[in-house]
Amino acid sequence: MKKSLPRLDSKFIVIAISVLLLLYFIVFPLLVLIYDSLFINGTFDISNYKDVYGKKVNWKALTNTIQISLIVMVASVIVTFPLAWLVGRTDLPGKKTFRTILVASYMIPPYVGAIAWVQLLNPSVGYLNDFIKFVFGLQKAPFDIYTMGGLAWVLTLFYSPFAFITISRAMEKMDPTLEEAARISGSSPLKTLWDVTLPLMMPSIVAGGLLVFIAAASCFGIPAIVGMPGNIEVMTTRIVTFLYMGDDKGIRDATALAVSMMVVANGLLMFMSWMLSHKDYTTISGKSTRPNMVELGKWKWPAFGAVAVYAFIAVILPLTSIIVTSFLVSMSKGLALDNFGIDAWIPVVTSSQYMESVWRSIGYGIVAACIGTVLALFVAYLSVKTKVTGRSIPDLLVVLGGATPSIVIALALIVTFSGNYGLNLYSTMWILIVSYLVKYMTMSVRTIAASLSQVHISLEEAALSSGASWIRTCKDIIMPLVAPSIVAGWFLIFMPSFYELTMSNLLYGADTKSLGVLLYELQTYADTQNASVLSVIILLIVLVGNIILNKVTKGKVSI
Amino acid sequence: MAELKLQHIYKRYGNVTAVGDFNIEVADGEFISFLGPSGCGKTTTLRMIAGFEKPTEGVIMIGDQEISNAEKGYFMAPEKRGIGMVFQSYAVWPHMNVIDNVGYPLKIQNVPKEERLQRVKKMLELVHLQEYGERLPSQLSGGQQQRVALARALVAQPSLLLLDEPLSNLDAKLRESMRFEISAIQKDLGITVIYVTHDQSEAMTMSDRIVVMSMGKVQQIGKPYDIYTNPANQMVADFIGLVNFIPATAKGDRIFMQGYEGISFPNPKKLSGEAVLAVRPENITISKTGGMMEGVMNHRFYIGDSVDYRVKVKDHIVRVIQKGADYGAYQDGETVYLDFDNVMSFAKEE
Repeated sequence: MKKSLPRLDSKFIVIAISVLLLLYFIVFPLLVLIYDSLFINGTFDISNYKDVYGKKVNWKALTNTIQISLIVMVASVIVTFPLAWLVGRTDLPGKKTFRTILVASYMIPPYVGAIAWVQLLNPSVGYLNDFIKFVFGLQKAPFDIYTMGGLAWVLTLFYSPFAFITISRAMEKMDPTLEEAARISGSSPLKTLWDVTLPLMMPSIVAGGLLVFIAAASCFGIPAIVGMPGNIEVMTTRIVTFLYMGDDKGIRDATALAVSMMVVANGLLMFMSWMLSHKDYTTISGKSTRPNMVELGKWKWPAFGAVAVYAFIAVILPLTSIIVTSFLVSMSKGLALDNFGIDAWIPVVTSSQYMESVWRSIGYGIVAACIGTVLALFVAYLSVKTKVTGRSIPDLLVVLGGATPSIVIALALIVTFSGNYGLNLYSTMWILIVSYLVKYMTMSVRTIAASLSQVHISLEEAALSSGASWIRTCKDIIMPLVAPSIVAGWFLIFMPSFYELTMSNLLYGADTKSLGVLLYELQTYADTQNASVLSVIILLIVLVGNIILNKVTKGKVSI
Repeated sequence: MAELKLQHIYKRYGNVTAVGDFNIEVADGEFISFLGPSGCGKTTTLRMIAGFEKPTEGVIMIGDQEISNAEKGYFMAPEKRGIGMVFQSYAVWPHMNVIDNVGYPLKIQNVPKEERLQRVKKMLELVHLQEYGERLPSQLSGGQQQRVALARALVAQPSLLLLDEPLSNLDAKLRESMRFEISAIQKDLGITVIYVTHDQSEAMTMSDRIVVMSMGKVQQIGKPYDIYTNPANQMVADFIGLVNFIPATAKGDRIFMQGYEGISFPNPKKLSGEAVLAVRPENITISKTGGMMEGVMNHRFYIGDSVDYRVKVKDHIVRVIQKGADYGAYQDGETVYLDFDNVMSFAKEE
């Protein structure tokens, strides 16, 4: 007993420090933001909201956001459910490759996807538009990316992996004998899908759909690149426009919009986790039977064709477009053999300004990942391995940060850490790093916690009873078992941080311009080629990161 | 009309033969167990009968109808076979209440609601769950879910019922009572049952005949009594009940114990050369005064209704079980004498 008392104390100190840090950097800024939106010069006043929603343009942005996000949500689920089923539960040829391709757009920065689709479907010189015009002898470009439809299209392609991952995970976890029981009861494969598979999947379908809705509504990069040129405004672009005004009024209006977004996003996520925990669909699962794959029969190759076409359009086409554009000698000459070369690459890789941004972003990513992983390890250990009261509070705070839309986090950090409340981080690299940590630590905590919970307490107890001290047990037993998840947790913070755009775009200063911001600027200045070169550089780094991640975790975790 | 026939059934996964040359004719109303260690192919065979696996070779028939014929490439879909099945995991649908779960097969057959509820009610009475109709599976214990699965498998009055290790997730006491309940229901309905298990006492108490399987091969098909008293080979003798194996040599019509050349037993199987003698622990008598061979008492375990002895005979440890014996009658290290009865003999297996 003597020994365990000081250990409990040190755990309590760690929990206290991490709670304080998380409270200060996550909860406090959000509270300041809400306070600022509701109080003017210290008196309660909802005129901010009245002002903001009194203007037609803001109402339009709100309805646009809801409309587009709903379309994207519904389209994602409709496309994703059959894909997840085909890839997970049938004898579709090449399904492993398809799975990899279908989740690939998850690791591509959304704004890179937007740039690609602008290249493919802009009405004047889009590759795909030109191709269709040529094939069908059309006078006019058939598609215009700068429309509501175009925006919904790009958002769907880039956020449907959220739904795909959620739904296919649930499908893999489902006991296949539940479906077999329906078959042996006399139900055909299709009826089984309808009566058993679909209802059992419903919570994950709703969850996946809501994730897509929130992601689409919180996205800034895609609407900024695809929507703005067509004068389609959404909440995120309105907030940024208000902030660009720079005056107090602009910030107050942005604050009111951001708080409404936060309420909706966090509310939906709370509803989602309530729903998932409420419906108890867990059943005793038996020995692992070979999952019974549905045989597609004569539908095998048509299904293969459909999935292949989707994978080509969703992933391969935009990536090819970016890569090809980066290797064009002159954009105006179009696709011709003598027009290929590394001419566009040379000015980029020799430009000290560009390369500085690349290295800077990698540096910020590394710093954020290192700090984040250590914090995540504490938070995960506390919530999974200890019995201390309040052990899961840090975990909850981290989840709150991750669930808050990026643009809201950025705004909250601006109003809080500009010196009004002591600490002034404005225009420093630290405000960027804090924002990355607030947004991306949650994935890291999840991964490490999942791995820690796999280490059964008896493994530790066996080491302790073999005579090892607690520290020795950590070193010999726990660390080796969870090491892959720590590496994974590191990359899960590093990768989205280094190509982050939304928050960086609001928080960067003269000396802290990050890669995402630089790329966004190049794209808006219509320097598509340099933007493409930088995009390819980002994709390469993401690819290398994923290969390392895959090696370390043996394919269990990837972005 | 629920005779089930399996003719030359093979199942191969690449180069691995999961089931090899399975043949059986099951009579109407018969209770058959597939018994064997895990990985022996018993569940695979059951799943081929259900239609969830396709045999690589062979024909399966229910009555006069072929339901699976690998040569013709004909495999009737599981839902067309009219079979009831209980899964090891129960596979009770968590989103439907008990009535909906049990009534589902009737719903598929478009049985009118009134009649459906009547039949569900009858089934729930049969499995003693009449009070639980409105409950969701998450509100039921494992044993109750098991009964729901059984009622669902029986409600459409299938002529053939398949049970895949249905009791293995239950605790020991419940397992015991469910055994007799399933037996009683089967006798009551006169239904043909194929029961997969790795628990020999389950197979022994419930079955009309047992199919003992190992490494994808049928080792023996027979009544429980025959399998116990007259196992076809060393594997079956070893898997069913307890047994002592003693190396021996067969010459002419006698088999000689190795190391005890003076002691021999009849050779009804006409074995020759290396052989194995097998004797069950309860068929050995132990005494202080004299017997076939001499040994030294090594260990004694008090079981309650019997004493389990280990006697060292030369280099072997022989296990002897005596019902109602007195634990204190022998001391460790004491010289004792053994007599063998009902000695079985097998050709030596590699």
